[in-house]
Amino acid sequence: MRHSTTPSILLRLLGFFLFCSALAEVQAGNSRGFNRLLEAVVRIDVRETSFADGAQRFVSGIGSGVIISEDGLILTNAHVASPLAVEISVTLASLERVNAKLVGWDHWTDLAVIRVDLADLRRRKLKFSYAEFGESTRLTPGEPVYAVGTPYGLTRTVTRGIISNNNRPFEDPRGIRGYEVGMFNNWLQTDAAINPGNSGGPLVTEDGKVIGINSRAYIGADNLGFAIPASIAQRVSTALVKQGAITRSYLGIVPGVLQDLERFYSLASNTGMLVNSVDPGSPAARAGLKPGDIVLTLNGQKIDGRFPEQLPPIQNTIADLPVGSSVKLGVKRGALALELTAVSEKLESRVGEEWAFEKWGLSVRRVSRAYARETQLSDASGVLVIGVQAGYPAALSGIAVGDIIMKVAGEPIGTLAHLKEHYQHYVDTPAPVLIEAQRNRRIALYVFKP
Amino acid sequence: MKLFRFLFCGTGLPTRESLRHGSGDPGHFSIRILLLGVALALSSRAADLPALIQERLASIVAVEFVIQTETDRHPVTVAGTVIDDQGTIIFLGAAIPPTISPDQVSNFKLHPPGGSEEYTATYLGPDALTGWHFIRAEEKARAALVPITRFAGKETVQPRLGDELWGLGLRGKDEDFVPYFLSSRVALVARLPNETAVLAQDIAGPGLPVFTPTGQFAGLAQNAYGQNFLLFSRGQNNTPIMLVNIEESSVVLLAAEVLPKLGRIPSAISGRPLAWIGVYGLQPVDPEVAKFLKLEKQSGVVISDIMTGSPAALAGLQDRDIVLAIDGKDLPRLKPDQVVISYAGQEIARRRPGDVMTLSVLRGTERHEIKVTLGDEPKMIREAARHYFARLGLTIREFLKYDGLINRSAPGDEGGVVVHFLKPNSPTATAGVQPNDWIREIDGVPIKNYTEAIEKLSVIEADKARNEFVLLASRGGETQVLRIKLN
Repeated sequence: MRHSTTPSILLRLLGFFLFCSALAEVQAGNSRGFNRLLEAVVRIDVRETSFADGAQRFVSGIGSGVIISEDGLILTNAHVASPLAVEISVTLASLERVNAKLVGWDHWTDLAVIRVDLADLRRRKLKFSYAEFGESTRLTPGEPVYAVGTPYGLTRTVTRGIISNNNRPFEDPRGIRGYEVGMFNNWLQTDAAINPGNSGGPLVTEDGKVIGINSRAYIGADNLGFAIPASIAQRVSTALVKQGAITRSYLGIVPGVLQDLERFYSLASNTGMLVNSVDPGSPAARAGLKPGDIVLTLNGQKIDGRFPEQLPPIQNTIADLPVGSSVKLGVKRGALALELTAVSEKLESRVGEEWAFEKWGLSVRRVSRAYARETQLSDASGVLVIGVQAGYPAALSGIAVGDIIMKVAGEPIGTLAHLKEHYQHYVDTPAPVLIEAQRNRRIALYVFKP
Repeated sequence: MKLFRFLFCGTGLPTRESLRHGSGDPGHFSIRILLLGVALALSSRAADLPALIQERLASIVAVEFVIQTETDRHPVTVAGTVIDDQGTIIFLGAAIPPTISPDQVSNFKLHPPGGSEEYTATYLGPDALTGWHFIRAEEKARAALVPITRFAGKETVQPRLGDELWGLGLRGKDEDFVPYFLSSRVALVARLPNETAVLAQDIAGPGLPVFTPTGQFAGLAQNAYGQNFLLFSRGQNNTPIMLVNIEESSVVLLAAEVLPKLGRIPSAISGRPLAWIGVYGLQPVDPEVAKFLKLEKQSGVVISDIMTGSPAALAGLQDRDIVLAIDGKDLPRLKPDQVVISYAGQEIARRRPGDVMTLSVLRGTERHEIKVTLGDEPKMIREAARHYFARLGLTIREFLKYDGLINRSAPGDEGGVVVHFLKPNSPTATAGVQPNDWIREIDGVPIKNYTEAIEKLSVIEADKARNEFVLLASRGGETQVLRIKLN
């Protein structure tokens, strides 16, 4: 494709000025490590399945990533590359494009690992470099850092800033398209400009060491960006490469900060974690833990949840326990000291499996236990409507996003598979079918008509 | 502007009617003569419209009162209609929010339209079936008041499409509530579920009567319906908005619905007795579902929830039952679908505690006849005991059966109290307490009931040396420990 000459000259001029000013103030651009890092940053174009509007559709997005190994593993965000991706295309520093495949993702930490098609690379004799990790735990606020990535599709953009805060709690229960994020890690906060498209790109030191993976920013604020620390990213990516997913333990404790409450609970400072809430039916509830309890020890280890920053690491300690293990909780309840034992369960996301029934114009999501708890459903049966397509039987019947399908033709829908069976029956022998759905505990009936 | 436009077209109407009838088929001579006679009578009476208006002004008043909340006082002005010789006046339900208790409304004042007189009135209570509030004018005001029934005529008016009606609006207090004239034609008559006419234009202030050209009472103007508009503003294309006229309305509850219910003067300020069945989350069966269930000519109502221990539960009603008929009368197919819910609600509201009601329900594929003995409505929010703690900045109220339903509490798990009001930026509001929070513990001690909560909070409120206290609040099934800093 040919470009007209004028814009490219303008761009060159602009580039020249930027380069001059950079030379004057910053040494990073010259360091060997930094140049190597630049060679390791990639643009990631993803085409993925979406079940949002009552049909199976494709949506595209652009993100960033950083190559972290000789064999072509790329670290990026979970919200860039998810299991719904059908096509992942990586643009190397050399501007050459290669395909990649998802190795694993973990929305809780917003991290994903993909791998480039090595065979294709070798065939085409393409080369790349890979980045090295730095010590994210030793960062101090004020330290200069650089974000490298593809903001708004602008490939290989470097922005500069400092570490604004090196230990920022930032939990978002529905952060990644409804998936939970940030319960188990704190974040690096930076004022290096992070825009849409920077996601998954590295945050690096002057010598080009990766100390974080850029993930989110307050849109509309002035440079309040957040990155997952490299220490977490290394651990998670190693596990993803090994197992494809991270299995975590769940007890059902919602912690709160103890700050200023020590006197009320007659506690020494920096002791224990407050239990704000206990999920109904969870292992902690079955063990007898109650809101207002103070957990002093976890399997004999003292814990300290005085400040918000201290809670994600505690949550992570629990999550790291093997699923099904007995967890001893040393608990203070008023003047009582209790020893409770909870058997951990596998942590489940609030977002269940999604599917689309094209002939109904209906997309759905399995009701997970976490979602059932959150919406105070009596159990996790049923299938949640997440999209209807105008003019199709589902939309015409009046069913709407947020309804939970409980019964079809009088039979309870326990799982997504049940609904698929009914759908197949409808496709084979089209006839009106009676649907029972609930919303906020209101039960309503609908008829899907061919 | 609108006012004058209607004045002119209003009086012309009967003449046009008589002309049309006069050019009819000569074979119907006698009918023609009769119609001509009626038309002449109408037109001669219509010529007296100013006199009719003057006469009917005695049936309407402006009503002022005050709603007192914990920290604020809200003056309210509504239009009222006189319904009997004892000076009883009704105004529409929406004027008093349902959570406001009768002791929070006071200072009732009456103003005849356009006059400078002011009279006092007493609040009699609300009526559940109509939603109307009833007040009674002081003795000396009554002589000048004329009940609307005086204009009801022998035969109740049944307006048809195209009929002309007129009514009045009232200007504001600064204009002595001076009345102004409105008139329009019936555009639509529908059962919603009550017989209601919608006119082509606004016809009267909400709560004021509407009349035929001959001055016969035709109905009571209701709150206006919203109308959709596009809003064009500088720099923006257009935004769809909905506007509701709060001064005038085109919606009229017909006389046939109003007149029989004027006798429902509450015997208690609480509006009790109130019949109660205990079914919740009623949902209409839409025409497609009705067809599927072979109920073409009628409608049904799905019961979503049944309160434990309620008359419905005792009678054996179950959630998912579809109510098809009440006392042998099929639920009618009303439009839109949602109207049948109001229909069912009114069927209960028109009955009394102790009445037996037979519900025909569809359960799966079987039809069951279930006899329910209606009970007494459990305590409502407006009746709940409550207390405002000024220093803490919150009002708590007792936990009601209804709260148990909302919070999905297990049967028997009904301790605690509910946050009814929070004063902005007070210690409790700053600590993160929210309205409708269910307080389970105070200072780490479970709260069994309202009295216990009041005792504890009173001690805290009075203790000036107190620096903090701790609440355990439940919100949407999740609890939170909240530290309230006092000093």
